[in-house]
Amino acid sequence: MPVNEIPSPQEPADALAAVVALRRLADRLEDAAVEQAMRAGWSWPQVAEALGVTRQAVHRKHAKRLIAAGVKLRRRSP
Amino acid sequence: MRTFDAYLHAVLTDAETEARRDGSATIEAEHLLLAVAAREGTAPQRVLAEAGLGHRAVRAALDREFKHSLSTVGVSVPAGLALSSTPSERRPTMGATGKLALERGFASVTRKKDLHPAHVLLGILHAEVGTVPRALALAGVDRSALLARAQESAAA
Repeated sequence: MPVNEIPSPQEPADALAAVVALRRLADRLEDAAVEQAMRAGWSWPQVAEALGVTRQAVHRKHAKRLIAAGVKLRRRSP
Repeated sequence: MRTFDAYLHAVLTDAETEARRDGSATIEAEHLLLAVAAREGTAPQRVLAEAGLGHRAVRAALDREFKHSLSTVGVSVPAGLALSSTPSERRPTMGATGKLALERGFASVTRKKDLHPAHVLLGILHAEVGTVPRALALAGVDRSALLARAQESAAA
């Protein structure tokens, strides 16, 4: 099946559960991607712009977690 | 009553830990179920264990439901992606399905003093749709039979 062809689940229960699962997957992907970027030396504004969210939003969501994970964070660029 | 309060407090604390481990900002019914399954020496834990649902089995069933639900839209979990996250510093709040499970459990008695640990499990099992019933079905668990067993346990 081509990757760009999204099968539509037959059952409403499957369709709704797929939404729940995709949201969870997106959250896990975001955690991993932001951590990867910060370890690679990206700045908060860069990560925020790449995600299409505000710098405050990405910082609020990830800063404490990354510090707890021992990631060296770049100081905010002036 | 005091026993129930202590049990509920312990389950809510464990459910919060489960939610954080999942990287979830909210405590959902599945986190309550994991907490109930892990609380050794309690009646609801025994009901679950008798149905083959130890803590690890519940976690496996939930993982399977997650992967199965993704597969219905042609998505699989990328190799190497951690599904358990570094616990967030933020405290998870009670989510919609967690709240519903607790409300349903509490609603099964008329007097608060009649609440029993099994009522928490009862409330979780009452859900007919959502992650928990799907995970149970995929694990080959008869939810109605389990519900009946939880009811017996709560009445005992």
